[in-house]
Amino acid sequence: MKTPFRGFTAILYKEFLVVLRDPFTLFFMIFPPLVEMIAFGYALDTDVKNMRTIVLDQDRTEESRQLVKQFENTGTFKVVGEAQSITELADLIRRGKAYVGIQIPPEFTRDLRAGRSAKIQVLIDGSNSTIAASALNTSLNVGFLNGLRAMAERFGLRELPVEVRPQILYNPEMRSPNFFLPGVIGIVLQIATTFATAMSLVRERERGTLEQLMVSPLSRWGLMLGKLVPYLVIGMLMSAFLFIVMRWVFHVPIAGDITALMVGTFFYVFALLSLGLLISTRAQNQMQALQMSMMFILPSVFFSGFIFPRETMPGIFYAISTVIPATYYIELERALILRGASLGDFWFHLVMLAGMGMALFGLCVLRFRKTMA
Amino acid sequence: MPLETMISCEALTKRFGHFTAVDHVSFAVAKGSIFGFLGPNGSGKSTVIRMLCGLLEPSDGRASIAGFDVAQQTEEIKPLIGYMSQKFSLYDELTVHENLNFYGRLYGLKGAALKQRYDELIALTHLEPYLHRRAALLSGGWRQRLAMACSLVHKPSVLFLDEPTAGIDPVARRELWDLLFEFSSQGMTLFVTTHYMDEAERCSHVGYIHMSKLVVCGEPDDLKQLPIVNPPDTKRIDVTCDHVTTGLQAVRKLPGVRTATVFGQSMHLLVDQDMQDSFILAELAKNNIPRADIRPIAPSLEDVFVALTNNRNVDPK
Repeated sequence: MKTPFRGFTAILYKEFLVVLRDPFTLFFMIFPPLVEMIAFGYALDTDVKNMRTIVLDQDRTEESRQLVKQFENTGTFKVVGEAQSITELADLIRRGKAYVGIQIPPEFTRDLRAGRSAKIQVLIDGSNSTIAASALNTSLNVGFLNGLRAMAERFGLRELPVEVRPQILYNPEMRSPNFFLPGVIGIVLQIATTFATAMSLVRERERGTLEQLMVSPLSRWGLMLGKLVPYLVIGMLMSAFLFIVMRWVFHVPIAGDITALMVGTFFYVFALLSLGLLISTRAQNQMQALQMSMMFILPSVFFSGFIFPRETMPGIFYAISTVIPATYYIELERALILRGASLGDFWFHLVMLAGMGMALFGLCVLRFRKTMA
Repeated sequence: MPLETMISCEALTKRFGHFTAVDHVSFAVAKGSIFGFLGPNGSGKSTVIRMLCGLLEPSDGRASIAGFDVAQQTEEIKPLIGYMSQKFSLYDELTVHENLNFYGRLYGLKGAALKQRYDELIALTHLEPYLHRRAALLSGGWRQRLAMACSLVHKPSVLFLDEPTAGIDPVARRELWDLLFEFSSQGMTLFVTTHYMDEAERCSHVGYIHMSKLVVCGEPDDLKQLPIVNPPDTKRIDVTCDHVTTGLQAVRKLPGVRTATVFGQSMHLLVDQDMQDSFILAELAKNNIPRADIRPIAPSLEDVFVALTNNRNVDPK
């Protein structure tokens, strides 16, 4: 049997048994991804809603109550109390009782009716920039809208001269799970699969079984492929499971073709498993394998566009992002899941993933020297 | 009829950076012999085995197995050799049955051929009661048997055993050696490293490596005849008496006693040829040891290695 894959079936047989017998590895492939999905799906909801707001209404008229109502109607603010003075208002924000304070001065209605500029003051806690930005935008909008309405009334117009009617496509409610979960799946797949193969070969090195394999007629391709295939199967099952959780637990609709999604996932997982194997040809022990895997995972989290948009990154980080498999996979996922794009539109991403996978796999076979030194 | 050479090393050398782990080692092992490779820890035994198995590339010199060069023709050598490493490298998660099946498949066995070889090896190693036990749960002796069965799955012509008896009980040790003799009689060549002198005595040939250099190599009986082991005008005697340690202190001081070592209830002395037994008996009596038996003995392999090691330590060459 002088095939290039000599010994492949033997390794495959053994590796499946070892993986299924090792509850530790299986646990770490299944459990952390689930926790991370739940964390991102529920806890890391960046939609700013129902911000605690305190009102200091010194005007106390129908108009001022109307204005507060308009603030509340945006959904961004939720009035949780009233303050009696501006010092109390500022104090409540400092003590964290509220994020936003709205002060309506006594002359508000008078100025409004007299056609003067009616001023209100909005205090925003800037210590969380996301929340502050959202509060700022919404309150400015409320102000503008009020101003425009007042002007229109004064000129006897029934409608606003210009009205913008934005329509958000593909994630109309702007739910953050829809944006985050496909990315989370990309990242957790990377963590689980890279670790799995990086550890499995290093463990053999530590135990001395690798030496036993190397005195046998097993070929390098046979060894590497035999190591990779079981984890490829597990990785695909795992991703299917994660997509099911995403669809039915977090109600993120999959707009595009599921087969296309799985093809993309296949190449992505293949690339990551090869990366893990490549690490294992270098690492002398499990600790090193762990550290080296982390080294590849962190850039994927920060530079892949998972959290921060790639387009706003400084040039060097953008360049890094172009060699990260997660970049292509997460873009592909968002296109297929959220926008219902077809694979044909994203063939470049698929080619990149497949290319990276084959390059990494080829590299680890070449790097893996049969001799110990 | 000259014996066919199975393993041969010529000036085999391995350097790791500035450290020379194996320094110009040359020897030959005939087909069907049991070659015992001895030496202290770190002397280079395992490095020689690893080079012979194709796991390490020699830095210098050459070695061959069945005529195939270990550095160039590794693929030809692999089906010929079996290797049992120090750690009895097994897959702990797999059962005895699965470990054996895996190694069988690794060497390309399948179907009826695999089944037949499997049955033979189980019969040979008496592993039947443990077939479905995980390797992790086997005791040292059984792990060693399983490792042995795994290394024999492809009927190798040469079997390398790196300290096969380290840490196993005396019964398992004896049984292992019985098996090794059986293999040897069937024509298999065995290359065994060990620390035990009694095991070395059982080998048909021994080599002794010290500080990366092969000090001596040959049949145990020939080694015992070496002049360095039997300096001219000396003889070896065994003195059996009570209070051996007291006796040892006493006789060591006697003129004409060159070396003295305790061996259980007796001591082994290397003394001048003209040393009288009565002289020793009188000295012992002075130290309250009234009775002692004295008889001449031949040198043991241990005596050989001690003599050679001392000689090297004195002589820097």
